[in-house]
Amino acid sequence: MMRVLIVDDEAPARDKLHRWLAEQADIALVGECGDGLAAAASIASLQPDAVFLDIQMPGMSGLEVAAQLEPALAPLLVFVTAYDEHAIKAFDLNAIDYLLKPYDKDRLHKTLDRLRGRRGEAPAANATAIRTARAQTGSSGRLLVPQGEQLQLIDASSIHWIEADDNYVHVHTAQARYMLRRTLADLLLQLGEAFTRIHKSAAVNIAEVKSLSPLFKGDHEVHLRSGAVLRLSRRYKDELFGRMGG
Amino acid sequence: MKSGTNRALFGLWTLFWLLMIVIAVQDEHGDARVLWWEPILWEGSSCLVATFWLVLERRASDRWNEYLADPWRWFAKHLAWMPAIAVTFIVAIYGIRHGVYALTSQIYEHESWSYIFFYESVKLVLFAGLWLGIIFGLESFARWREEREQLLTLQKHLAESQLAQLKAQLQPHFLFNALNTISSLMQVDIERADRLLTQLADLLRSSLQASARDVTSLREELKLLDLYAQIMQQRFAGRVTLASNVADDALEAQIPTLLLQPLLENAFKHGVERSRDPVRIEIAADKQGQDLRVTISNSNSSVSAAPSTGIGLRNCRERLQLLYGARAGLELLQEGGGVVARLNIPFQS
Repeated sequence: MMRVLIVDDEAPARDKLHRWLAEQADIALVGECGDGLAAAASIASLQPDAVFLDIQMPGMSGLEVAAQLEPALAPLLVFVTAYDEHAIKAFDLNAIDYLLKPYDKDRLHKTLDRLRGRRGEAPAANATAIRTARAQTGSSGRLLVPQGEQLQLIDASSIHWIEADDNYVHVHTAQARYMLRRTLADLLLQLGEAFTRIHKSAAVNIAEVKSLSPLFKGDHEVHLRSGAVLRLSRRYKDELFGRMGG
Repeated sequence: MKSGTNRALFGLWTLFWLLMIVIAVQDEHGDARVLWWEPILWEGSSCLVATFWLVLERRASDRWNEYLADPWRWFAKHLAWMPAIAVTFIVAIYGIRHGVYALTSQIYEHESWSYIFFYESVKLVLFAGLWLGIIFGLESFARWREEREQLLTLQKHLAESQLAQLKAQLQPHFLFNALNTISSLMQVDIERADRLLTQLADLLRSSLQASARDVTSLREELKLLDLYAQIMQQRFAGRVTLASNVADDALEAQIPTLLLQPLLENAFKHGVERSRDPVRIEIAADKQGQDLRVTISNSNSSVSAAPSTGIGLRNCRERLQLLYGARAGLELLQEGGGVVARLNIPFQS
């Protein structure tokens, strides 16, 4: 059974997918969402196997939703759009499936066949899709974090530092600490140049570093503007020094 | 334009006087009683004073130009000055000639004053007539060029807005999403799908037809808006409510074709398509004194979110400027939680 989520801001478009997917014996519809933020929340809570994701939506576009996903945990993505030249070109190159509206049943069945064939290799297929979506949306500036029951987007610049903790990361800002089910490595890939690792399980926003003071054996202490003191391991010293411009 | 006319005129003027001087010199050549500089002085003094009057005419030409469409009045306005010109002209040129001759201790001999006045007046009227004809021709040509240019600009803007509007309808997003909506509807409600398909066809047809004319009645323009709104309402079912509040006496008012559609598109684009909450869009029109006022408002967006560089809005403003000058206005206002586009144009029915 493949568990599928439908995301589109136009009700008739959702209805059409719903009707056609409901005809498939091996597909279980787990939900429908009308906007990007709701989609991100449903992906996190329902953990579907595949998502039909409309690109143009209010609030957060389908590409922005994809950009915030952790490839290893993400469902298979099928982008659905009426017309989005740039995005489509990028996905065309990466051979990721998408549906162009309006589409007929044969076209949808081809997509479903492809999804069935790819179920085992979701992480690999996703990695390309998500990387492309990140490149398309410039997703390094915003991070989707859980806030109580809901999700919200925060500015990446408001993040002071990030701490890895098993399968989770803790994101520290001036106001709060958010716990996300992401890996530090992928989060740093998404956030880009503004952040750098300081030891195996921590990374800082370079703009938040106030000073460094040496410890034993080449390790350092990193003092943040917020007052937090973190350890910089020898291994990542050169990287941070280089990024800080000296 | 103006300086071009003057350049051409003074070019001809210079050639004319050079010719007059050359002819005069040639006429008197071989006449031992006449010194070489005398014909130059005769023609030169005439040229000097005539140029003075021409410069005055040029200074005042803007005031005459309003009569260009009515040649008789234009010539009459000019010729009314002839008596004054004739007297000052004759007095001035003979004054100069007598003066210069006196400086060289000679006497300027000429016919009797009564003959001079008669002869010079006739000559002056003939030449003035010739030059007024030339001035009239040049000014008319300049005016014609100016008007043609204005007309071309107007046509260009109209063509641009037609193109922009066609593009907006053929806009892939709008068209393909509308088609997808129909594709979905037709599986559950053939009649509604059929209606929507017809509306889409009507909208495309109307905008193609509208291109041929410059102005239309508000009633016709509203029909087009309605088609567009109906399709959008189907797509965004439940997320938008439409309200129309148009006064009866405004319906027959004339309005430039395709002027309102970009405003409605913006209301959808920046209101409905960007908002997760339901949006109310209202179209209102009424007669306000000498003006027709049309407002299109949405309940859920902000002016800052609407790019002011949008080709639709800029194009609307340029067309209004060309058609009505300062008598028309189009402004975007933040009102409550939404944006209002307010259009004012002179009321013509």
